[in-house]
Amino acid sequence: MIILNKIISFYYREYKLNLSGFQDILTNIVFFFVSIFIFIFSIGPEKEKISILGIGIVWTLLLLSSTLSLRKFYQDDFENGNLLIMHLNGFSFGSIAILKTFSHFLFVQIPFLISIPIASVLLNIANDKLMYLFASFALGSFILSCLGSISSSMNLMNQRNFLLGSIIVMIFSVPIIIFSVGIINMEENFNSLISILFGILLIVFAINPWASGFCLKLSIENN
Amino acid sequence: MKFLVNPSKFNEIADYIFKPVLILSIILFAIGLLFSFYLSPDDYQQGSTVRIMYVHVPSAWLALLTYAIMTLYSVLALAFRLPFGFIFNTAVAPIGAVFTLICIISGSLWGKPMWGTWWVWDARLTSVAILFVIYLIIIFMNLSFENRIIREKVVAIFILVGSVNLPIVKFSVDWWNTLHQPATISKLSKPSIDPSMMTPLIIMTFAFIMIGIAIAILRIKTEIISRKSYLS
Repeated sequence: MIILNKIISFYYREYKLNLSGFQDILTNIVFFFVSIFIFIFSIGPEKEKISILGIGIVWTLLLLSSTLSLRKFYQDDFENGNLLIMHLNGFSFGSIAILKTFSHFLFVQIPFLISIPIASVLLNIANDKLMYLFASFALGSFILSCLGSISSSMNLMNQRNFLLGSIIVMIFSVPIIIFSVGIINMEENFNSLISILFGILLIVFAINPWASGFCLKLSIENN
Repeated sequence: MKFLVNPSKFNEIADYIFKPVLILSIILFAIGLLFSFYLSPDDYQQGSTVRIMYVHVPSAWLALLTYAIMTLYSVLALAFRLPFGFIFNTAVAPIGAVFTLICIISGSLWGKPMWGTWWVWDARLTSVAILFVIYLIIIFMNLSFENRIIREKVVAIFILVGSVNLPIVKFSVDWWNTLHQPATISKLSKPSIDPSMMTPLIIMTFAFIMIGIAIAILRIKTEIISRKSYLS
């Protein structure tokens, strides 16, 4: 029960922090919509062209705008010492990584999930494809959270090159993009593609606590 | 075999073998280029452009081999606390990046006359491009961290995570239908390449391996010296 209490208080703290910094999440969403406008202006307003390219555009921009906030994944807690205090309170570094990944999924990726229908109206995506877009993004965004945890814990002590973390996430998210867009475009083998995506999720979720826990431990020990 | 994990033993051995390896690589390059330009036949379909293969294939093999050895050294360095693994990773990553770049450039020079395009987005080409970006990220990480202890361990973790790309590069021609041809030499049955083309290919492969070893020796020795001056 003590562990459960600790986890609940962890998420209560995360909720408070994200509520006070709600404008950051809103900024991500606004970035997403503004870049959709930019895409439409650069392609041209023909409806047929937009509906062909729409799914690719949505997925690309979701990836880009969710990597924008990676800098805040561990950095704030690391710099004000909360990470160390959490560890002293009995969370191992691996469990901190898992809890933080779920919190990032809840407070950063779920708002994107909510804003997908509006984006699909703007990009003229058909209604029957919207369900597949939802399913693929619900799985894919969790993979993105895990990858974000790994890359941002790697770059905790990297004081010079902030863009490197985003590049790491983007290079490892290539298979996710391929299979997610494949799910939406080829509807007949939906089951096989979504099982591949789910398999990738399980692999990344298994690697995540080891890799990011090790990097967190390293950064805290050598700070 | 202790010189493979011990820096001071490595320095001793490297002083002995550096010059022979360099001379051997120059000789092999001379013989191999002679074979590949004059003594090997034209392909009946591709004509003279098949000679690009003698640069393209060895560099592709070595790009993969370099990454595989880096993965092995990362495991050794993290699991058994051998600092030589970190030295090796720092020193060898640019060599692998250059081999990958040679592979990509020669491949696109070969693709323009044969496929009619410099670049297609098929599985083999894309995965090799991702391998090149992973090499670049390793180099950038090596340049951008200030704390050396964190840098080398984080880079080793990144190499381990990035090694998922290696089997994708190797088996991409078998798993997907690609424009790139499947493996002709490194497969289980008999290689489906004529001996007259196999000979220059093997000579060029050994020449590439030797020049790679020579550059790696130089870079590892430099890295060891810079670490000694950093510690003292």
